[in-house]
Amino acid sequence: MATAVHLEEITKRFPGVVANDDVDLEVERGTVHALLGENGAGKTTLMNVLYGLYEPTSGRVRLDDEVKSFDSPRDAIDAGVGMIHQHFMLVDPMTVTENITLGNEPRKWGGLAVDREAAREAVVELSARYGFDVDPDAPVEDVSVGEQQRVEILKALYRGADVLILDEPTAVLTPQEVEELFGVIEELTAQGKTIIFITHKLGEAMRAADEITVLRDGRNVGTVAADATTREELAELMVGREVLLDVDREPAQAGEVVASAADIVVEDERGVRAVDDVSFEVRAGEILGIAGVDGNGQAPLVEALTGIETPDAGEIRFLDEDVTSASRRERIASGMAYIPEDRQERGLVMDFGLIENALLGSQHSQEFGPGGRIDWPATREHAEAIIDEYDVRPPDPEAGAESLSGGNQQKFIVGREFERDPKLVVASHPTRGVDVGSIEFIHERLLELRRQGVAVLLVSSKLEEVQGLSDRLAVMYEGEFSGVVDPADTTEEELGLLMAGEQPDSVDERIDSGTEQTAAADSTGGEGA
Amino acid sequence: MAAAGRERQMSEAGADAPVGSRLTDTVAAYSTRALAGGTTIAALFVLLVAGAIFPDSIAGTLADVLTSRNTLASALRLSVPIAFAALGGIFAEKSGVINIGLEGLLIISAFTAIYVTDLTGGIWIGFVGGVLASTLLAGLFAIVTIEFRADQIIAGLAVWLIALGLAPFASQVIYNGPNTPTVPTPDAISVPVLAELPFFGALFSASPSVYLLFLSVALSWYVFERTAFGRWIRASGENPKALDTAGVSVRGVRYAAVLLSGVLAGMGGSAFSLDLGQFTGNGPTMVNGKGFIAIVAYLFGNYNPVGAFLSTLLFAGLDAIQTVLQLRGIGIPRQLIRITPFVVVIVVLALVGRTQTPEAAGDHYESGEE
Repeated sequence: MATAVHLEEITKRFPGVVANDDVDLEVERGTVHALLGENGAGKTTLMNVLYGLYEPTSGRVRLDDEVKSFDSPRDAIDAGVGMIHQHFMLVDPMTVTENITLGNEPRKWGGLAVDREAAREAVVELSARYGFDVDPDAPVEDVSVGEQQRVEILKALYRGADVLILDEPTAVLTPQEVEELFGVIEELTAQGKTIIFITHKLGEAMRAADEITVLRDGRNVGTVAADATTREELAELMVGREVLLDVDREPAQAGEVVASAADIVVEDERGVRAVDDVSFEVRAGEILGIAGVDGNGQAPLVEALTGIETPDAGEIRFLDEDVTSASRRERIASGMAYIPEDRQERGLVMDFGLIENALLGSQHSQEFGPGGRIDWPATREHAEAIIDEYDVRPPDPEAGAESLSGGNQQKFIVGREFERDPKLVVASHPTRGVDVGSIEFIHERLLELRRQGVAVLLVSSKLEEVQGLSDRLAVMYEGEFSGVVDPADTTEEELGLLMAGEQPDSVDERIDSGTEQTAAADSTGGEGA
Repeated sequence: MAAAGRERQMSEAGADAPVGSRLTDTVAAYSTRALAGGTTIAALFVLLVAGAIFPDSIAGTLADVLTSRNTLASALRLSVPIAFAALGGIFAEKSGVINIGLEGLLIISAFTAIYVTDLTGGIWIGFVGGVLASTLLAGLFAIVTIEFRADQIIAGLAVWLIALGLAPFASQVIYNGPNTPTVPTPDAISVPVLAELPFFGALFSASPSVYLLFLSVALSWYVFERTAFGRWIRASGENPKALDTAGVSVRGVRYAAVLLSGVLAGMGGSAFSLDLGQFTGNGPTMVNGKGFIAIVAYLFGNYNPVGAFLSTLLFAGLDAIQTVLQLRGIGIPRQLIRITPFVVVIVVLALVGRTQTPEAAGDHYESGEE
């Protein structure tokens, strides 16, 4: 078979970040290739290079063995590459036909009018050829999301695409629509089109792809044939495990229950249960880890716990009070600190200096905001203390948050949250995208809090991190806890199985040992195996 | 668990809401407009019947005024600047650039048209001069908003204030007063036979600017409904990224649309002052808020050129009726009529929820930004 797409040694750097590091990718004509990896692994960046949105820092793009250089998506489209973005590029009030032909309208009367009959016919003919079910005259805003996606695909085909890139195509679809999409993909490859689809879902990659390439931290960590791999192998490739942390830690002195969640259900905007009946307890002086491949419900669970979202069902208790519908402000005031997953979106105001950022979350406190007036000198002192204590560089409280490196931004957030004297710290991916030095620093601080008797809930998709730090480790899969284990007593293979939604026999017996009184988790997982 | 099940059911029921509610919005938008239209026609009918039966009553006078061809003629005359500006506003806003500087474009072109006519003696040269001045000012607005990403509302206000200051100032310098001398006005064009019709005859015996307006309304409609350029303008205002990834320059489309709004508003301003033969620059100048009524008109007309023209005719018609009634001794305060368009638009916007404002109107767009 011929190679349709060949990316050679692609490196893409952004200021301060290497998004793609020397990535090679070969895709055969007429096949489906899945690009698998966690959020931030560099999948979309790599495809944006292929689609001409980004110019690679180094490396080459070959199509049918010919070296290409794209200045814009226009060049890529002309060369037969089409991309269907996660957020559709459709004009809602315009019809399906108008959207498909936008920018390439068939004309009549010397270009003075759009030939609407010809446009409609082209769309009807194209959708018939690939067996698509679309209504050419319906306004896009009135058709289902699945149909909108088919319109996007038709748009690319109308422009003569041979290679189709689908960015997280299933993220917005219902399970039935996902099946339809896979049918469409089969039909397209049967007619010689080449498909690359980006996903972080193992099952989908195995179900729909011929070959799977796993990206991690911007590098290609392996390309495997879909029928010659296992979920566990893929999960391990995605999460990685080469660096085993050497963490010194004494046994937990678990005390009172600080926070508990009972039968939590969070539904996403499609009505699917992103968190499905999850229960747990966190005690003073222990770290409860939540592991799992990204997107299995960790984020909505954390949001429900911290009060960003209200759960659709269930009860959250904090310090013996029902806080299920308490606001963020109330939760902060009563001692719940939160290190958010996306520090630039939720942790900091990037345009503000560190002084203002140090105030975030404390603006109502007696210390910094007595009587609705902000005490700036005290805030400044507070910012300086955080900078000093948590080794934030450059040590300039006036510096804008955006001028700091990712690691230093994170250290600043960690400092701000820990300085609240919290009873509970919810740390969501606290070391994602952070340099090694800062990782160690943050880990030490978390253990220090634990020694002081603070309860810690640590969510991370890095296995070595949750395994090294946690006293108990829950694994999340498709919104449920597929298991709660003693990390010291569990192998990575077993964790890999749990992350893939399977129930390793060896774990069952061990779940309760040593964690008997605390593991109230509903571990009814095991589906999807 | 029961609670959980109930929650789930509830949100499943709500899952289709976005599409559904948009549909009902659309239906509501049309039915409210239809209801308003139907009520008006019914009221008119009752009024006319009552007027025919009792010719000496107030209803009789009203009916007489309503059916007079003079009323239609003056409504058309008053419509010219408003409708042209509204067409211009539609082009700009559909492309994603809210042009609230229409008032300023009307003022600058109204003055320039008189000035150039006074200089050269040619009415049509003056007309072109006015259009050029307005296009130039719109070009400035386009550069500031598209190139330098200035806030569209503030830049639009600046356009108005610049023109509001500049035109009377220029008149002061050139003619030693805020008002210009008078220049010849264009002759009305009458279509033989048709001009003799009762009432509708007014449509066929009017200033050339009225015919130009008819043509512009039709052409604008055609551009939006039938040409590729019209589609690009719509896409540029709804989802510029979609247009960009389809390989059409959003910048180019927006520039063209804003310049077109300058041309159209310029035609309105020039025709307005030339039809009267003078520019008067006291206070809010002779334009006196017509550019803002134009915005109201195209919102009421739901961004449709024909709809905008009809709503202009409605507002202008009210103004014309009011003038005639004053003369006949039935006093309706002028100020009350003046605020009608604004009251109407607030009521319409509040009741209908929203007119179908372009999704990306007011947003800057930079190609290649994430």
